[in-house]
Amino acid sequence: MTAPRSKTGASAFDLFSSKVEEGLRVKTGIVELDEMLRGGFMPGDAVMLAGSAGTGKTTLALQYLVSGVKLGEPGVYVTFEELPDQIYRDAKNFGWDLRKMEEQDKFRVICTSPNLVLESGDGSLLDDVLHDIQPRRLVIDSLSHLEMFVKKDDMRMEAYRVIRYLKTRGISSVLLWESPQISGASFSVTDVGLSFLVDCIVALKPVEIESSMRKALVVLKMRGSDHDKRLREYEITSAGIKIESAFSNYEGIISGSPRKVASEKFMEMFRGASEKQKKA
Amino acid sequence: MFRGEPDEMSGSEILLTLLGSEIRGDLLVLFHKNPGLIDTVDAIARRIGRTTVTVISELRELLELGVLRQKRIGASEVVFLDRAKDRELLESVANHLKTIRIGGEK
Repeated sequence: MTAPRSKTGASAFDLFSSKVEEGLRVKTGIVELDEMLRGGFMPGDAVMLAGSAGTGKTTLALQYLVSGVKLGEPGVYVTFEELPDQIYRDAKNFGWDLRKMEEQDKFRVICTSPNLVLESGDGSLLDDVLHDIQPRRLVIDSLSHLEMFVKKDDMRMEAYRVIRYLKTRGISSVLLWESPQISGASFSVTDVGLSFLVDCIVALKPVEIESSMRKALVVLKMRGSDHDKRLREYEITSAGIKIESAFSNYEGIISGSPRKVASEKFMEMFRGASEKQKKA
Repeated sequence: MFRGEPDEMSGSEILLTLLGSEIRGDLLVLFHKNPGLIDTVDAIARRIGRTTVTVISELRELLELGVLRQKRIGASEVVFLDRAKDRELLESVANHLKTIRIGGEK
C-alpha cells in the first residue's frame, strides 16, 4: 500500500508512518492532515476542532465536508451564527459550490438556534435532513454557542447527548469550539471538561514569531490511534487549508513564548561568525 | 382575498399570495437564500429585522400555501422551507409568467 505523499510533509510522514489503515479512516481532504492522523479520523468519532477567531475552523470544517461529498459521503453543516447564504458565498471563494451539492442531495447547511438543539431531546430537529440525505459527516459550528443556553455544570451533559445522538447513527462529527487561548502545559482546550468527551482534538492556534503572526495546528488527542504530535504550520489559501512543515526550530509555541531551540541559536551564531570572518 | 386550496390555485393566485406584502417578500427572500433555516417565529422575525407580531400573520399565509412547514421541537414551534413544495410552486409561477409573456407578445 502506498501512502499519500506531500512535498512538505513527506519526511514527517516517513518518520512516524507505522500503519496507515486507508479506507478505514475518514479522510479530511487535506493530505498533510490525513498524514498526521495516520490516514484520517476514525470512523464515527467525535472530533473537536478548537481555535480562536480567524484561525480557519470554518474553512477546515467545510473542507472536511466537501472532501466527504467527493468521496460519496453526504455531509451536513449546522450553523448557529452565520446564515447559509454567507457560508455559500465564502465556500465559493475556495471553489466549493455548496448550493450545487445541495441540489444533488449530497449536502445541507442547517441554520438554527442553539436552544432548539437543546430542546430537541429526541433529535427531531435533524430528523428530516438525516432522512433526506443520510449524511456520513456532520459539523456543528459551534458547540460553544450551546454554552449561552445551559448552566456551566450542564454543558458537559448536553454535549454528551449531542455526541451520542450522532455516534448512534454512525455519523463522524466535527464539533467546532471557540477557544480564546490554547496554552499552558495542560493543553486546556475548554473549561467545561469537553476534552474528555471527544475522541480527537485538533487545535488551531495563532502564534507570534519574530514579529509576524503565523498559524499552528496540532493534534492534541486521538483515541485508539497513533498521530503526529508535532506542531505544524498552516496557511489558509485560495484552495483551503494547506499544512506546511513542523515548527522544528522553535519551542514554547503552545505556551505563547516561542523561542529558537538551542541548536538553532548555535547555528545562527556560527553563521554570523563565519560571515564576519569572510568580510574580514 | 379569496383563495382556494393550494393544490388548486392558479399561477397568478400563487404569485399574489407569495408577494402579497413586503414582509412576505422579505420572508421568501430569507428562506430562498437560506433554505436550511429552521427556527422559531421570534428568531425568524429578528433575522429580517421585524417584530414577531408583524411577521406571524405573514408566516401563516406561507404555511397555508405550503411553501413553509412547521413542527414542534421540545416546547417550541419551528418553521422551515419545504424544498419540494417550493420547487413545485416556483414552477407554477414560472409557467404562469411564460403565459403572460406569450399573451403580451400576441
